[in-house]
Amino acid sequence: MPWHLIARNLLAHPVRTLLTASSLVIAVFLICTLRSLVVGLTAGVEGAASNRLVVQSAVSLFVDLPLAYQGKVAQVPGVRQTCKFQWFGGYYQDPSNFFAQFGVDADRFYESYPEVEVLEGDPAAFLATRAGCLIGRDLTRRYGWKVGDRVPIKPTIFQRADGGAWEFEVVGIYRSRTSNVDDATLFFQHDYLREALEQGAASGPPGVGVYMVTLAPGADLVAVSREIDVLFENGPQRVQTTTEAEFQRQFVSMLGGVPTLLGSIGGGVLFAILLAVLNTMLMAGRERTRDLGIIKALGFGDGVAFALLMLESLLLCGVGGAIGVGLSLLSAPAFRQGLSQMVPGYAVTDETAALGLGLSLLLGVIAGAAPAWRAGRLRVIQALRPEA
Amino acid sequence: MALVPLTYTFRSLLERRSSTALTVVAMGATVATLAGVLALQQGFQTLFTASGREDLLVILRKGANAEGESGFSRDRAEVLLKGLPEAAADADGRPLTSGEMYLAVRRPKEDGGETNVPIRGVQPQTFAIHGERLRVVEGQRFGPGTDEVIVGRSLVGRIRDCRLGAVIQLNTTPFRVVGVFEHDGPYGSEVWGDADRMSEALQRPGFNRVIAQVVPGADLAALQARLDADKQVPCKVMTERAYLSAQTGALSAVLLSLGFVLALIMGTAAVLTGTNTMLAALAARTHEVGVLLAIGFRPLPIFLSFLLESTLLGLMGGVAGCLMVLPLDGLRTGTTNFNTFTEVAFAFRITPTVLVTAVVFALGLGIVGGTVPALVAARLRPTQALRRE
Repeated sequence: MPWHLIARNLLAHPVRTLLTASSLVIAVFLICTLRSLVVGLTAGVEGAASNRLVVQSAVSLFVDLPLAYQGKVAQVPGVRQTCKFQWFGGYYQDPSNFFAQFGVDADRFYESYPEVEVLEGDPAAFLATRAGCLIGRDLTRRYGWKVGDRVPIKPTIFQRADGGAWEFEVVGIYRSRTSNVDDATLFFQHDYLREALEQGAASGPPGVGVYMVTLAPGADLVAVSREIDVLFENGPQRVQTTTEAEFQRQFVSMLGGVPTLLGSIGGGVLFAILLAVLNTMLMAGRERTRDLGIIKALGFGDGVAFALLMLESLLLCGVGGAIGVGLSLLSAPAFRQGLSQMVPGYAVTDETAALGLGLSLLLGVIAGAAPAWRAGRLRVIQALRPEA
Repeated sequence: MALVPLTYTFRSLLERRSSTALTVVAMGATVATLAGVLALQQGFQTLFTASGREDLLVILRKGANAEGESGFSRDRAEVLLKGLPEAAADADGRPLTSGEMYLAVRRPKEDGGETNVPIRGVQPQTFAIHGERLRVVEGQRFGPGTDEVIVGRSLVGRIRDCRLGAVIQLNTTPFRVVGVFEHDGPYGSEVWGDADRMSEALQRPGFNRVIAQVVPGADLAALQARLDADKQVPCKVMTERAYLSAQTGALSAVLLSLGFVLALIMGTAAVLTGTNTMLAALAARTHEVGVLLAIGFRPLPIFLSFLLESTLLGLMGGVAGCLMVLPLDGLRTGTTNFNTFTEVAFAFRITPTVLVTAVVFALGLGIVGGTVPALVAARLRPTQALRRE
């Protein structure tokens, strides 16, 4: 088997090989990136805890639950802990600087969310400081905030009587060990918000968006959910209790056709590049007719002729694909940073990398098949006949 | 200076039929992908802005950007509903104004999952304001003060219980669907009912916004300034068209930037493959170029001839791309408008803008991809080119 011929053939037209490989690199890079976007959009579902339930209004995402519900939920057998989650919906300086802010029970937050790890600052300060907040590490990168800073957040829902912004003091910077909580959220004390509403310093809905419920070990998920739902079946606000994964899935389901759209784009890219590589390999096969004739005349079998072209195609696509995957891995931190607002879970997973590599090798096989098959069947007499 | 005959270009393309076809289809796939994204953006934009009216005002609480965030108590809304001198009136002299209660509620989708469907409680004058733009195509309008609703046609078949005769439960109150309506604008993805009954069922006593049809020639700037400064009810006043385009800014921008980034990346890949094809074509035809040079054609005509060939490939690719994307026209899809967090249904629209953009893009790919090979061809020396291996 004349191995070095494969490399020599590829290098015979360095410009063309480079062009084909480059378009392959771009295609694989694009496919990996698109898939990582989909992975990022659906990340919350993957990391959801199995011992947590979400109690929310059965009517609408925009309807709050009364504060009195928390005590009643806590009484249900099997419930170990409850924690308020109230969407604040504010922004920093300009509406385009958008990230999630939640008012939570500072005294229960860590117990409800053991995956949240405070990297800087004193975890206990969150409870001790009324206007304190925990911020995700992505936010420190994005806005340069550090522990001790006072952060002004402009409201959209909770207007202050003085017409100004809310101020929160950064007491800690956290990271999450799982993907269900992103690293770009601001958590503050719900009591701080509640007091402002009660004292008339601000206006807005008095209730709470959702209660996160942590189950006691061994509690039956389905039974507890049903029991909570039944509690409020006759109003004033009906509730819907779901697992955390189901709750996250609702948001993914809201994306509707978006994952399909991104998938179709990937399909289009793949198809276009398949044809391009196929074209290159067909041309290579045609140009090599004479060389192959000589190889066969020297006594190498049909299999060798077939393998020469097939391996050339595989090598070309494999190298192109590997570089494409490599680029997407290298660019992942930059993308993660740039997209942290819209797709905080952006990640090039191992499966994505494997998919990129697998697809490029598959392209190689498909593109190499026709010319290689022709090479295998080539008759020496035909191949060596000078062009008319 | 004699140009290389056009027939040479056509014959060359025909001679390498399979290679030409592959290049055209590959380029077509690239163009079609981009045209698809653009068609989506067009469909979305038409839905929201084409239907927005200039003579219909949307009045929100000051500080709110969308009706979901806005809110008026009933008595404050009454001030606007009854006391707007610019408002047009119907034949009986009643002002053409309506208070609207709005809430996006959870509804299960037919194909699984859940989405947020806008529920709008409206007052009787609404039908007079919307006039011909709102057409009940099945059943009838809901009766005032009854637990009846009408559903937008875009919801039928996609959202469970959105069909004539079905029952939609809002919190604890069941509402019966008595009609299906069509609306040229985004209202076609909503459920409409009586404002008072819906307010009670959803325990939301106020209105989210007030709409008012204004008399022709009303001074809108003055009205805006007056209501903005109003002590009792400070408001933000926008025309319906301005309001709707503000609601779609984010999604439209996402689609356009997605299209732009894809065009850049995929375009680069397409140019590389185009260059490649032309280089290979040239390599196979070096001898011919030598002959052309030897019989007296100058380098410039040869350059133009190769560039023309590549441009033709691009044109064919563009046409192929348009043909591939045409079946998408009218295909409906839905996603959440993240400005409002509600579900909107819209269709791919292959508008002339899409087709022209696609063809121009493909021509550009052909020209850029053909330049280098054409230069190489033009710079060949006859003796070199004619030398037999």
